[in-house]
Amino acid sequence: MPKHKPKRGAPSVDMTAMTDVAFLLLTFFMLTAKAKPQEAVVVDTPSSISETKLPESGTITILIGPDGKTYLDMTGQHTRKSLIADVNSRYKLGLTEEEQVKFSNAGSFGIPRAQLKKWLDLSPSERNTFPTPGVPIDTADVNKSELADWIHNARIAQFRMKQEGVVKDEYVMVVKADKDTPYPAVQHVINTLVDINVNKFNLITSSESDPNKKAEEGSEK
Amino acid sequence: MADVQSSDNHRKPPGPIRAKKTSTRIDFTPMVDLGFLLITFFMLTTTLARPQIMALVMPDKTPDKAEIQDSKVLTLLLGAQNKVYWYEGIEQPELDSTDYSAGGLRRVILDKMERVNAKWGLEHYEDSRSKTTKNGSLLTVLIKPMRNARYQNLVDALDEMAVCRVRYYMILDVSAQEEAFIHNPIAGMVFTPEQQKKAVY
Repeated sequence: MPKHKPKRGAPSVDMTAMTDVAFLLLTFFMLTAKAKPQEAVVVDTPSSISETKLPESGTITILIGPDGKTYLDMTGQHTRKSLIADVNSRYKLGLTEEEQVKFSNAGSFGIPRAQLKKWLDLSPSERNTFPTPGVPIDTADVNKSELADWIHNARIAQFRMKQEGVVKDEYVMVVKADKDTPYPAVQHVINTLVDINVNKFNLITSSESDPNKKAEEGSEK
Repeated sequence: MADVQSSDNHRKPPGPIRAKKTSTRIDFTPMVDLGFLLITFFMLTTTLARPQIMALVMPDKTPDKAEIQDSKVLTLLLGAQNKVYWYEGIEQPELDSTDYSAGGLRRVILDKMERVNAKWGLEHYEDSRSKTTKNGSLLTVLIKPMRNARYQNLVDALDEMAVCRVRYYMILDVSAQEEAFIHNPIAGMVFTPEQQKKAVY
């Protein structure tokens, strides 16, 4: 009778199950990750010790580039659709249904209302090279300021969507400016906001360590 | 799992030597590595993408004349090249300049805060988040960014308010007197109390 010999060699682990799990998770994260629409301007935000996180939805963002140009962005496709439908009928921009859908997916924009139709007809890559003068701000008369008008209408759209139960959140006003943005550009935006009674808003910053916390941790040690 | 079972368990018949069958088992390890690498990437990018925000409340446009004691006020003028000009009080200001480092602006604010606390005492207030009574300083800081200041300067100044726990601060426009002084430091800052009150409110 032959002796039973134990099998020699490296034990091989069956990887199939692990691969299944890995790729299941991978698929999940890839699908849930939102493709971020490209911002009209690259903004390098200053740092602060604040630890509050930006809410995911319901934000109306004013972007101010290092050159002082102002761009506008807001989250929520439905809200954007409602906003552009409003603006379109009020100012008779003559946007087609297709162009309105394009607007609701467009991300940030920085062009005068009159040029909106032309801009929406471009492909996303062409929009990058399209000269953008920024959303016009009239510092003297708030009623003529396009930025003030956009924000006013965006708030109405957000409110309407909340009434209809499409979105859950109140709007959050956010100002995102570059480190090197000259202050007058920021001042114009802040003044516009105060003029239309938006007295509470948020500044986007990147994180920085809090010296108070560091001192507390140091004393504990 | 991934290998094919060979069915010839019985003894090999004598005959010509056949080519050895190579195993069809595939090593999945690199694939799993790649899978987990991508998972890590997507996990980190989805959760860390949300930036921080700093809340800012501006005063209402309606003129609201709150009386404020001269000795509680510290004015910061944010200038070009990361310089901060500052003076205390309203009626007899003496101008000085500093920078945004911890030993600069923070020292100025904390020094002033100490003197305000010594003179006016602390104010008790209820912290809305922790629902506890806390002591706060009555120091009032007026932040006035000048035309040639950068946005970073404003955020730095607001950050110092958070670090030093200043409860009363506001962003105001620079007055003509202050502007003139920065452009011509030798002439000094000429203030009459009326002018300066006008500049503050």
